[in-house]
Amino acid sequence: MLSRFLIVLQVIIFLAATAAVPARAAVVGNGDYFAPARAGQALGAAGAALARADVQAQLTALGVDPQDARARVAALSPAELAQLNARFDELPAGSSILGLVGAVFVVLLILELVGVTDVFSGV
Amino acid sequence: MRPAAVFSLLLTLVAGCSLSPARPPAGADASVELAAVPFFPQARYQCGPAALATVLAATSLPVTADALVDAVYLPGREGSLQAELAAAARRHGRVPFPVAASEEALVAELSAGHPVLILQNLGLDSLPRWHYAVVVGYRVDTAQWVLRSGRERRRLEGVRAFRRHWEGGARWGLVVLPPGQLPAVATPRVVAGSLAAAEPLLGAGATLAGWEAALARWPADADLAFGAGNSFRAAELPGEAFIHYQRALAIDPQHAATRNNLADLLLAQGCAGQARAALAPALKAVGADDPLGPVLAATAQQIEVAAGGSCKLPGDLAAE
Repeated sequence: MLSRFLIVLQVIIFLAATAAVPARAAVVGNGDYFAPARAGQALGAAGAALARADVQAQLTALGVDPQDARARVAALSPAELAQLNARFDELPAGSSILGLVGAVFVVLLILELVGVTDVFSGV
Repeated sequence: MRPAAVFSLLLTLVAGCSLSPARPPAGADASVELAAVPFFPQARYQCGPAALATVLAATSLPVTADALVDAVYLPGREGSLQAELAAAARRHGRVPFPVAASEEALVAELSAGHPVLILQNLGLDSLPRWHYAVVVGYRVDTAQWVLRSGRERRRLEGVRAFRRHWEGGARWGLVVLPPGQLPAVATPRVVAGSLAAAEPLLGAGATLAGWEAALARWPADADLAFGAGNSFRAAELPGEAFIHYQRALAIDPQHAATRNNLADLLLAQGCAGQARAALAPALKAVGADDPLGPVLAATAQQIEVAAGGSCKLPGDLAAE
């Protein structure tokens, strides 16, 4: 709840800061023009700022140092940012462990022994 | 489930696998192996940093897997996300390109000397075990792929197992290259998207060579000429930007985004009349619900309020 509040506060500060800057030349930048149509387009400046703060908060919650989290989010393309913002928990994290318990473990062991999977040999 | 039922299920699975032919990828008529690609054995759960270090070091960048942990590892997930691997490559001055999703493309990349970082599912669809590895070769004689993977410097994976693992990872892969180089297999759209995504991190000056390489490969692509123009403009080379915008319009006179940016460039050079002329066809043709509409209108507005001054055409600048 508090983090949500802080994010909204951050966005308000961001918008206030950008609104104070006089309008810049109306050019179409490469970042906007070449973003995949399905991903980045829907996020406007406000949406992108919110997504950035949101993803940064998720990284921090998963144990990433806040300074690192800021630099990591800054390096994402608009499309990647939109993807992480929309489906962070569903995305595969390479090398994550399995919730190996009881019967599941046994089934996997059998599958491994008969050569269907390679769970234990790839580590 | 009774043991007999489990056994018969397993038999079916095994039989199902053996039915798919061990067909090598098309184009693999000779073995290829990038033996010089370095190896970083992964620490526990940290195949992301290890695989990324492998492809970065292959571009002569002095990095280690340990140094990348803070850039890509997620302690709470005990793994790394694909998007973060691409982002970290940009932070190291390299351009990540998504690889074309076919084994033929992998062979083409290897033949061009590009190792490919891939996502594999070593488990089951219902119980995935995600893993990053780097493809460094393919052996025709044994129909095996050569990988830098986990703690194995030279893991050999049969065509069938490799296909299953890579399809489990939705055939995702990255080719990580120094600016100015392009993947062997790509579309203009993918290349433009990758260069555009790298630009904020690398700086427009660094990606110029990439745009020029892309234009050399696809000389009739208006979008690429437009992207190159923007990159030159951002690198404060207005003369070159002008030439590339004109090139884009020579290919596609209807390219509204180019007309807009060209008009803005001309206006910045004090050439309001030429700017108005460049923008007019786009203003006339734009649809009511086109997202470009407001941008074109804003540019037109700026042209109208511009004070008259001495016009220096960017073409003159390029000649200087």
